[in-house]
Amino acid sequence: MAEPVTELGSWRGEQVKVGQVLDALADLRRRSPMGATRTSVVNLVVVARTGDAADRAAAAIAGLGGRHPGRTLMLVPAGSGSGSNGDSGDKVDASVSLLGSEVEGHDVWSEQVTLSVGRAMAHHTDSLIEPFTLPDLPVVVWFVSDLPLADDPVLRSADVVLVDSKVLGDVGAFPRIAELSRRHIVVDLSWGRLRPWRELAAGLFDGRAFAPFVTRVRHVDVTGKEGPRHLLAGWLASRLELPRSAFSLSPARHVSLALAAEGASFEVAREDGKRSVRASASVDGGPSHTDVLTLPDASLPWSLADALTRLERDRVWEQALRGALVFAPAGGP
Amino acid sequence: MTEQNPLAEGAESDRRAPPCVLVVFGASGDLTTRKLMPALAELADGRRLPAAFCVVGVARTEMADEDFQARMLADMDKPSAAWESLVSGFRYVAGDYSHPDTFAALKRVLAEVHAARGTGGNVVYYLATPPQVFGEVAAALAAEGMSKPEDDGSFVRIVIEKPYGRDLGSARELDAQMHASFDESQIYRIDHYLGKETVQNVLALRFANAIFEPIWNRRYVDHVQITVAESLGVGHRGSFYEGAGALRDIVQNHVLQVLALTLMEPPATIDAQGIRDEKVKALRAVDILSVDEVGNEVVRGQYDRGWVEGGEVPAYREEEGVAADSRTETYMAMRMQVDNWRWAGVPFYVRTGKRLPKRYTEVAMEFHDVPHLPFGRKDTRGLGPNALVLRIQPDEGITLRFGAKVPGQAFRVRSTSMDFSYGAAFMEETPEAYERLLLDAMVGDPTLFIRTDEVEQAWRIVDPILEAFADPSFPVAHYQAGTWGPREADRLLDRDGRRWRSP
Ligand SMILES: NC(=O)c1ccc[n+]([C@@H]2O[C@H](COP(=O)([O-])OP(=O)(O)OC[C@H]3O[C@@H](n4cnc5c(N)ncnc54)[C@H](OP(=O)(O)O)[C@@H]3O)[C@@H](O)[C@H]2O)c1
Repeated sequence: MAEPVTELGSWRGEQVKVGQVLDALADLRRRSPMGATRTSVVNLVVVARTGDAADRAAAAIAGLGGRHPGRTLMLVPAGSGSGSNGDSGDKVDASVSLLGSEVEGHDVWSEQVTLSVGRAMAHHTDSLIEPFTLPDLPVVVWFVSDLPLADDPVLRSADVVLVDSKVLGDVGAFPRIAELSRRHIVVDLSWGRLRPWRELAAGLFDGRAFAPFVTRVRHVDVTGKEGPRHLLAGWLASRLELPRSAFSLSPARHVSLALAAEGASFEVAREDGKRSVRASASVDGGPSHTDVLTLPDASLPWSLADALTRLERDRVWEQALRGALVFAPAGGP
Repeated sequence: MTEQNPLAEGAESDRRAPPCVLVVFGASGDLTTRKLMPALAELADGRRLPAAFCVVGVARTEMADEDFQARMLADMDKPSAAWESLVSGFRYVAGDYSHPDTFAALKRVLAEVHAARGTGGNVVYYLATPPQVFGEVAAALAAEGMSKPEDDGSFVRIVIEKPYGRDLGSARELDAQMHASFDESQIYRIDHYLGKETVQNVLALRFANAIFEPIWNRRYVDHVQITVAESLGVGHRGSFYEGAGALRDIVQNHVLQVLALTLMEPPATIDAQGIRDEKVKALRAVDILSVDEVGNEVVRGQYDRGWVEGGEVPAYREEEGVAADSRTETYMAMRMQVDNWRWAGVPFYVRTGKRLPKRYTEVAMEFHDVPHLPFGRKDTRGLGPNALVLRIQPDEGITLRFGAKVPGQAFRVRSTSMDFSYGAAFMEETPEAYERLLLDAMVGDPTLFIRTDEVEQAWRIVDPILEAFADPSFPVAHYQAGTWGPREADRLLDRDGRRWRSP
């Protein structure tokens, strides 16, 4: 998916004003050898509280290639990157780059702005974001390393909040993510990674021969790492309206689902040693079918690109998350 | 679907085929391996096919299930796990279409598949055979009682490939044969052009935006040019092409479909009936030429030797399977008029050809000049009229040409173009035309298929031209391969004071 990205130009300034950064951006665009128009679809604001998180996010964004072109604003705490860690009023350390790539023979460019935010500004980060957002496009805020507090000023600018429950501490973070999702549209990258399992499980009940069994599921076994198995169990419990007692959850390296219904059984499991998942349905003394799916790339760029195509409230996920809380051992994971 | 699947709630793959069997007639052929199977593989990888799904191939070539499976795997570059798993369930029936045994065997296989896989009696037949056997297959299916669904909510559909007849008369005959066995609502006539994203996007552009539709008419549009250019020659299909020509092969279907989408009025709903009703109305408004007028409005061309994309290529008459004195057209240009309020007086120039400099399809609207240019003549030298270009292939997108001031002290104005490219704006992969259409047929959405009255209207437009071409004195203008067609085509526009665009 990722097309190579080249840096068409860059600029860097220490202790500069926002206006200077905006001028630098405009200047880079003017001097760019690429076409006179651009296609932009998103404003992505990245909040990284550590240098490591900032690096991971930057790599993921570079990995988007020409997809989801737009402007990325990376907010890192002053002192975590290079440059001075001074904290002088309305000045920031900034770097700007113009990135170009090619999608289906077309030049596409994106702009990336990194600002190191001093303590003095921490309570007014929204005032740093606004000047940089491209008009008419959604503002997506990605909290890379930790969850925002309820009054985090960045949330004021956000149309959509991206999180990755896996990074945030899985089940331990679920209650706070659930809380956040009451007030904001939240998209969880981990949920996106579970889509293959969900789709396969749903597909098991397609068609007249199999559909009736979806209301006759009596027991469900879910395996996998902590976060995924709880999310999937929460999902199945909320969709199928099953009590907690119908579930057995056990830790495993890979996710698997086994649904026992009256008169039929259904399974979704990773194929041994392969990057594919097999789903099978079998009606006792009746028809059966199997379905195989190759897992998509598990990388962060893929998850990010995928999440950016689904910037909307996902009630099914919200209910799954709340359902997962029921399975979480009391007092945390 | 009988029951709601609570697990499917919120799933993105809202367009997923229901459990069904796809029966491909002519499964040993070119279309099957080159188009249908790759499209199915993409659908499988994209999670668009149900788990309860099966392909049954039918053709005269003797093969066992395993041979057919091996062939369908071998033809794929890098088969995915999903495709391998799917193919391992494929079935094959060998037999002649004139023999009832073939269909009895097919019936048995279908019953087995429905019982073992839970495909629920749902069948889509796909006729990937030469058209001369369409009627025969349809009749045989009906004779075995296989052309109608059971009374249990299952479906039976049949997909047929172009050409739908050779002229109005034979198209009506084919329809009568099909209708003897299938209802019109079961018949899905493919024009793969309609499966292309950008062709569909003509509808989105026109009917989802408030700014285009108001200028989409004679008041603002000076003329429209539709270009369907291919760089390829006829290749090995020379003998087929001899009996077809550009008029039947491209104009009657693809060009007129694109034209209909460009001309049509806004439908009340973007659904099968809404769109197709409006397309038929649009085609009905196209001025039908009399045979005598054809000479004045239509240019018929054929390529000579030349150079295309860096290689020297033979003349059409030197191609394999082509007569040395062939008069078959490999190029056609025509001027069309549309008799309705929206378009009266706006010429539609249409051209299509093989061995043109590049593969390129577009619909271009050229707008009127501004009533008065308040700039000096020398300041507007680089300024052309506004144009809105819908690029259909290869580089799908939209270009808007408009005048902008050249930076500097003087007030010089020049045309610039603003370019929107699909690939760049959306992350979603654009589905191939066959992928889209196969899925539509399985889902049961006939919007992008051709209804019988559309076929008929299209032939009404084409018939007089066919008749004029049949006259041995009708000129065939020759053009060098690798050029944009014969000079006569330029004259068609010259006399109106216009020029073909250079795409
Ligand atoms: N190929 C394309 O790209 C393309 C594009 C648009 C439309 N189409 C249309 O799609 C259909 C199939 O095209 P194709 O290129 O796949 O054709 P094809 O390869 O010539 O024929 C398909 C199969 O039909 C069988 N067949 C040939 N002649 C027959 C006859 N007289 N009676 C019964 N069966 C016969 C052959 O299989 P057996 O000998 O094993 O029976 C052959 O493998 C045609 O209607 C064509 O016009 C094709």
